[in-house]
Amino acid sequence: MNNSFLRVSIWVYLVIFFLYLLGPLVIMSVTAFNSSAFPRMTPWECLTFQWFGELFQDQRILNGIKNSLIIGAGTVVLSVAMGLAGALMLTQIWPKLRATYYTVIIAPILIPGVVLGISTLVFWDRINRMLGLGADSFLSNGIFLTVIGQSTFIASYCMLVLVARLQRYDVALTEAALDLGATHAQAFRKILLPFMRPAIASAAVLAFLASFENYNTTTFTFGEYPTLTIELAQKVRYGITPAISALAFLIVALTVFFALLNEAKLKRQELVAAARKKATVEELAGKIKLPSFFSGNMAAVLLVVFAVATITVVGTATAYNPGQCIANVKEQKRLEAEQRIQELRKQREEQRKKREAEEAEQGGAQQSAPKPSNNSGFGNVFAPNSLGGDAEEEGSDSETPPSNNGGFGGAFDPNSLQSDQ
Amino acid sequence: MPGFLKEFFNRNGTGMGLAILGLVLFWTIGLIILPQLSMLDFSFRPNLPPPEIGGPKDVYTLENYKYLIYGPEGGSQSYNAVDLRVFFRTLIAAVCVTIFNLIICYPIAYYLGQSKGSHIRIFAIMLIIPYWINEILRAFALRIIFGETGVLNTLFMGLGIFDTPFDFIRNDIALYAGLGYAYILLMIFPMYNVIESLDGNQIEAARDLGAPWWRIHWRVVIPYAKPGISSGCTMVFMLSAGALAAPQILGGPSSLWFTQLIYQQFNDNNDWPQGAAYAIVLLVTCILFVLAVMRLFKVNMGDIGK
Repeated sequence: MNNSFLRVSIWVYLVIFFLYLLGPLVIMSVTAFNSSAFPRMTPWECLTFQWFGELFQDQRILNGIKNSLIIGAGTVVLSVAMGLAGALMLTQIWPKLRATYYTVIIAPILIPGVVLGISTLVFWDRINRMLGLGADSFLSNGIFLTVIGQSTFIASYCMLVLVARLQRYDVALTEAALDLGATHAQAFRKILLPFMRPAIASAAVLAFLASFENYNTTTFTFGEYPTLTIELAQKVRYGITPAISALAFLIVALTVFFALLNEAKLKRQELVAAARKKATVEELAGKIKLPSFFSGNMAAVLLVVFAVATITVVGTATAYNPGQCIANVKEQKRLEAEQRIQELRKQREEQRKKREAEEAEQGGAQQSAPKPSNNSGFGNVFAPNSLGGDAEEEGSDSETPPSNNGGFGGAFDPNSLQSDQ
Repeated sequence: MPGFLKEFFNRNGTGMGLAILGLVLFWTIGLIILPQLSMLDFSFRPNLPPPEIGGPKDVYTLENYKYLIYGPEGGSQSYNAVDLRVFFRTLIAAVCVTIFNLIICYPIAYYLGQSKGSHIRIFAIMLIIPYWINEILRAFALRIIFGETGVLNTLFMGLGIFDTPFDFIRNDIALYAGLGYAYILLMIFPMYNVIESLDGNQIEAARDLGAPWWRIHWRVVIPYAKPGISSGCTMVFMLSAGALAAPQILGGPSSLWFTQLIYQQFNDNNDWPQGAAYAIVLLVTCILFVLAVMRLFKVNMGDIGK
């Protein structure tokens, strides 16, 4: 009983945890399809694809993507190279230096990105000045500074990935190649590099993603080449639109797609290996029947479902026109606003009548005891309801001493102000 | 040393050896050590217009550090209350975010590390996917949820818990949720790696000897997972204290994060030495704090980053 209780609670916990983790992404993706001009899920207005169109017409976003790709490519090359050199050095370095060296190359992961950005900027600015170069030299170029700044810590990630594989490398292989007459460069290219290829590939992907999404370092170094992340941050800080949700949806979809693709491939390799192991010698000699791509491969099935869904969505997007629905919503909003105004007017009218009646009843009794609700002062000169207007009463709530010249005072009743908002 | 170098070149060949050595030196000295030293040096200098740099006025001064503590000279207050408050608030909030992350991530890391089956891989993918989405977009997603007309307010008002929209952003709830959200993966993975290598028999033995589940965790799992826990906590603490995007997007208008002050010194006030001084203060305080806590819990520096 206790055990099953624990089991249920861990599942409940898992569900809550993944809701916290994935819920925001799902909600953000959904807002990309709502026609409301502010990204929101409720109230749902119309299904629309207009935000994607808007996104692809945004020059700054497109330019940001271009800069991000250039900087990403530079960062991948530099940080994988430095990471590989760093990893090779780590396996060979003088044992006494090893701990210090490891601390130095692992430190950039822990140093705040802001600090890395600043130090890169300050240092290269100084080098630039020492060399007597102008403000538009190569060393103060935004792309160069960003690549350098990002590589400082991304190379550490690459190093960690590469060193994990390098530890399984048998140095005897290189030695054998050298004994057989290969040069060091040949041994590196033909023996070590092929062995390291999977790790290099994953280090490159990691480096590219880290570069693509980096903000803290880039924000100090980008100069005149804002990356996509910088553009996004500026957009998000100064007014948000569903076009950003549309971009987010595309990124989420791409990420899910590649994650599934990778998983399906891995699973298939596993299945093939398992089938090979089971196969008898004759089968291996003749024809071996490999399991089909989908059997027992959940990721592959999900991948196909995902692809079909994408095609459907794109198909609907080209055929679908939400114009009518948007017009309806607009009309409805107009009606609602009108109704609210009507109600407000009626309410105010009633209050006015009520107050008039009260005033008439009490007469001069309250001459010496002014009420806050009666703070007309000059107020009734501006009293909007006497003009039939209803929008401009905020701010005319003057601080003049209340006098009981009655009549229209109700216009300044706090209630009427509240209901107006 | 020359002996070591000779051996190094013998093993790698002159060309390859030079390439490796060059890259490593460029990285460690040119990108890591010199820029930090340069920033340290810069933080002790006055803010001068470019022509005066290197001139007679360019002397070392403690002015930039004094500014953080005492505020502008001749100011009305004896201490720079605004900046100091932001600084301590940032540190305390980063500690809170770290503890919050540790508490919510420990059960997940334990579950993933100790259970077998193919669904674990699916969980791992689900954990990694949010981490691949841009940091800005993650903050943006939380802003949609915590906004005044956002999902949470609509939900709570629909359920009748609140009458008026609750301002999550002004109350910094959105900020803490966002910071916690951003670094979950960095907390889970180090813990998961360690817990995965824990022999399940140890847990079973403890259970057979009659330990209740909480004592098993307290006496067996947590001591074993200590390197992973400290790695995760260090990373989350350093990253949230140094976060810039989440406070800019999710922070309330009145509450600042210390990195935002640094950013302002650089971009709005154009006072680089002052910004560098603030950055140094942040970096040094964070490192000292982490070292002190590690000492308190008796963790080795070598365990970090594994």
